[in-house]
Amino acid sequence: MDDLLADFIAETREMLEASGGELVAWEADPTDRARLDAIFRFVHTVKGNCGFFDFPRLASLSHAAEDALADCRAGRREPDQRLVTAVLAIIDRIAAMVDAIEAKEPFPEGGDEDLIAGLDVSRETPENPALEGVCEGSGPPLHAPASALLGSGEEQAPAGRRSDSAAAAVAAATAQRTIRLPVELLDRVMSGVSDMVLARNDLAHRLRQAGTQPTIDGPFERLTTILSDVRDAITRMRMQRIETLFAALPRMVRDLSAELGKQVMIDLDGGDVELDREMIETIRDPITHLIRNAIDHGIESPSARLAAGKREIGLLSIAARQSGNTISIVISDDGRGLDEERIAAKAVATGLITEAERAAMPREKLLNLIFEPGFSTAETVSNVSGRGVGLDVVRQNLEKVGGSIAVKSQPGEATLFRLQIPLTLSIIAGLTVEIAGQRFAIPQSYVEEIVQASSQALDFTRLGETALVTFRGNRVPCLMLGEVLGLASESTPAEPTLVMLRLASGDLFALAVEGIHGHGDIVVKPLAPAVMRTGLYAGSTLLDDGQPVLLLDVANIAAQANLMAETRGRVFKPLAQAEAAAEPAARAMLFTDFAGRRAAVRLELVQRIETAPASAIDRSAGRPRVVIDGMILPLVGLPDTPLAQSKLRLLRLSDGACDLLYAVREVEDAVELADTLRPVPEDPFAEGITLVAGQPVTLIDAHALFAAHGEAPLPANRPRAVLPEGDWARSILAPLVAAAGYEIVAPAEAGPDALGILFEDVYEAAEALGRPLPPRVIRLRDQPEAPPASGTIYRYDREGLLAALVAARKGGAA
Amino acid sequence: MIGELLVVARIAGRACAFGALDVRSVIEIGTVTPIPRAPAWIAGIAALRSQALTVIDCRRAIGLAGGAGEAAWPTDHRAIVVSEGGHSYALLVDMIEDITTAASEAGQVPGGFGAEWSRIASGMVETMAGPALLVDLSALLAGPEGLSREIETAA
Repeated sequence: MDDLLADFIAETREMLEASGGELVAWEADPTDRARLDAIFRFVHTVKGNCGFFDFPRLASLSHAAEDALADCRAGRREPDQRLVTAVLAIIDRIAAMVDAIEAKEPFPEGGDEDLIAGLDVSRETPENPALEGVCEGSGPPLHAPASALLGSGEEQAPAGRRSDSAAAAVAAATAQRTIRLPVELLDRVMSGVSDMVLARNDLAHRLRQAGTQPTIDGPFERLTTILSDVRDAITRMRMQRIETLFAALPRMVRDLSAELGKQVMIDLDGGDVELDREMIETIRDPITHLIRNAIDHGIESPSARLAAGKREIGLLSIAARQSGNTISIVISDDGRGLDEERIAAKAVATGLITEAERAAMPREKLLNLIFEPGFSTAETVSNVSGRGVGLDVVRQNLEKVGGSIAVKSQPGEATLFRLQIPLTLSIIAGLTVEIAGQRFAIPQSYVEEIVQASSQALDFTRLGETALVTFRGNRVPCLMLGEVLGLASESTPAEPTLVMLRLASGDLFALAVEGIHGHGDIVVKPLAPAVMRTGLYAGSTLLDDGQPVLLLDVANIAAQANLMAETRGRVFKPLAQAEAAAEPAARAMLFTDFAGRRAAVRLELVQRIETAPASAIDRSAGRPRVVIDGMILPLVGLPDTPLAQSKLRLLRLSDGACDLLYAVREVEDAVELADTLRPVPEDPFAEGITLVAGQPVTLIDAHALFAAHGEAPLPANRPRAVLPEGDWARSILAPLVAAAGYEIVAPAEAGPDALGILFEDVYEAAEALGRPLPPRVIRLRDQPEAPPASGTIYRYDREGLLAALVAARKGGAA
Repeated sequence: MIGELLVVARIAGRACAFGALDVRSVIEIGTVTPIPRAPAWIAGIAALRSQALTVIDCRRAIGLAGGAGEAAWPTDHRAIVVSEGGHSYALLVDMIEDITTAASEAGQVPGGFGAEWSRIASGMVETMAGPALLVDLSALLAGPEGLSREIETAA
C-alpha cells in the first residue's frame, strides 16, 4: 500500500508540474481544446486515484474542478480569468495536500468549500445535457455535479467508478509512462555497463588471439550488439529535455506578474535541448532567480510601458541552444534595461571599484559588476526578488558546475542574460587524435575538416613562433598540439594531419596532430579543479579500451594562443601567384589493381571506397556487376581468374550521372600529381604515366572508362509506365518494358509524365467515354495484321514495341 | 577522534593517517596517463573501472622536491582512493601500512612539522601503530602552490 501511495504522490506531482504551464496557456487561449483536455485529465486522474485511497477532501476538490472543466469542454461555460484562478487555487491546494500526505501530517481543516464555491459551478446545470456534453469529449465520466456530492461520505457512485477507470486507462495509454529512479542507481547501472563494455573488449582481444572459433564468435557478436544497445539506452537515461525545467515557468511568470501588477508574456524556445538530469537541477534555481529579477526589476508596469511607447505586455523570452559542448540559455526581457549610472554609483559606494576605475570602465564591464558579491540595486526589497540572495549566488552556482553568466543591456529597451553551461557528464561526439604516443579527444562540433597533406601543399610557413597553413586559399594559423601541450614530438612531420577547428566566434584555426585515432560518442566526466586550472582540458573520458583520455578545451586553447579575434580579424589571403602555384597540383587516389599495376584515378572522381563481399559480384550478364546500397553498378578492373579473397575493395567512381566501381587489390593513399604526365597511346584506358615518389604510376583515363562502362545506376529517375491489367501484362509484357528502362508503377502512383500502355479496346472505350488518358500512350492490338491507319502495335511485335518504348522515352525526356 | 578508524600510510617514509571514512578504497594502480602541462604533483589520470581518477603524487603535493627522498623510499604501486568535492583522486603513497584506530585527539607538537608538512597536516595523532600525521585532504589536494595562492589572495 505504501508503494501505491508513493506512486500516487509521485504521479500527482509530475502532473502538477506539467499542468501549471498548460493552465496558463489555456488562459491565454480559452479555445485551446488540447490544453483544456490536458488539465481535465489531470484533475480527473487525481479524482480517480483518490478512489483507491481514503482522501475524501482531495476527491471533492478534484471533482469540483473536473466538473467546472467538463462544463467548459461541453461548451456550457466560457473559461474566464476567474475560472482559471479558481482552478489554479484548487490545483495548489491539491499540491499542498499531497505534500501533507507524503509528510504524513494532518492538513488543516476547512477552506475547501470556499475554493469550490470559487469555481461557481452552476447548481442549476441540468444533469442530462451534462451527460451528453461530456460524452462528446474523450472520456466518458458519469457523475453528478459537485454540489450533489459535497459532504457525502461516498465520493463516487459505482457506475462512476467503472467509467473512471476506463477513462484513466485511456489517459494512461496516451501519456508516456514514466517511473522515478534515484540518480545514484542510474549512475551505478551506467558504470556497470561501462565496465561490461571494457570486459567485452578484453574478451574480444583474447578471442582474436585464440583464432576463429565459430561456436563462440556468433554468440559473442550478439553480445556485442546487445551491449552497445544497452549502453546507448543507459547513456540516454541520464539525459532529460530542458522542457522539464521550462514546464513550470509559465505558471511562475503568471503568478509573479499578477502579484506585481504587471503583464508579462513568456516565450520559451529550445525545449528539446537535452541536458544531464543533474545539470537541470543545478540550473533550476539560477534561472528561477533571473526570471524573478526580470519581472520584478526589468519589466515596467503597464502604464509605464505605455508611456515609454512600448506594448503594454512585457515579453520575457527564454531560449536554450546547444552549441558545441556547452548549452547556452538566454533569458531576455524588453524591460527598462540596466541603469549604468546606478550600478556605477552603487559599486563605488560599496567600494567595489574606485571613481577612477569607473571612469575607465566600458559599459559592458560595468554591467557585469552586478554579479559581484554583495551587490543589489533594488532600492526597495520586495518579497519577490530581493531576498538577500543576489546575482552573486547565481554566478557562484553556475561556476560551481563550470558555467558562466554574462549580461548585456540596452537602456530602456532590453536586458539579456546569457548562461553558458557545460555538458559535463553528458555525451558528445568526439574525435580522438594522437600526439607523441598519447591520445586526446576533441569535441566533434568544433571540427570543420581533417586535412592530411604534405607541408608543401599546405604551404606550411613559420613566422616567428607562429605557424601558418593555407587552407582553401586562406592563411590560417596553425597550432602544433605537441607544442601546446609541451610534449616532445619530432619537428613538423612531412605530412602533418591537420584538424581544422571552427570556433564559436567563427574563427578558424588548424591543429597539427600526429594521427587520427577514431571518433565516436564519448561520455565527458569532469576533471579535478587542479587539472582544470591548466585551461587546456574540458574533461576526461574513457575510451572503449578503458584508457582514460583528456578532452581538449578547444576554445580555451585558442584563447590562450590569442587566436580568438576580439573583432573579426582580417583574413589573410596568399598572393594570387602563390595560389596559382599551389593550384595545379591535381590529386589522385593511388592504388594497386589486380594486375599488380600501380595506378591512380583523379580524386574528384572517387566518391568513396566501398568494401563488398566477393559473393555480391554478379558475373552472369556479360560484364560483372555489384549491388551496393540497393543499386546495381557495373564493375571493372576484376581479374579473369577467380578471386582469392572473400572481400573486395572497390573504388566508387562517378562522373556526376553514372557510377561505376573499380575493383582494386589495395588502396594506397591520396597523392599529388606533381610530375608531368607522359601519354601512353597503347593503353586506351590510360591517360598517361606519371611519377609519384619516384615510382611510375598509370593514371586511369576516366573519359575512356566511363565511355566504355558507365551506366546510370538503375533506380535513378527511370521513366514510369503503367501497364494494362491482367496476367499477360504482368508476366509477359512487364519484363520487356522494365528491360527497356521503365519503372512499372500502379495507375494510382503514375505521374502525369508516365507512359500508358493500353489495349486498343480499352483505349477506344476510354476515349469514347471521355475518361482522362495519359499524354503518351502505346496501344496494343491482339491481331498480327494491322488495320489500316492504326497507331497500334501487335502485342508480340517485339521490335515494334521496343522501338515505341524507346521513342516514348526520348519523347518523355525531351 | 579517539576510536576513529584510520588508514595509515607512508609518504616519503613518514607515517601519515587518513580518516577511514574519507578513503573509498585502496587500489593497485595501473597505467597512469600523464596530463601535459598539469602541475608536477598531478601524476596523471587513471581508470578505476569506468571512472577516471586524478592521480596525485603525494610527495610532490606536499611540496617535497623529488631528489634524495625519491630513491630512499621505495613504493609499492598501491594508491588510496579518496573523493573530495565530487572528484575522485588516487593518492600515490609509499606503502599502505595499517588500518587502525586513533588513540588520541589530533594535537600539535612544539616546533611544528616543517612548513610543507604543516600545511597538509591537521596535527599529530597517536594510533595503535604509533604516532602519525593526520592528513588534511583538501589541503593536500590544493597542491604545493595552494600555499602561495592563499598568500596572494590574502594580499
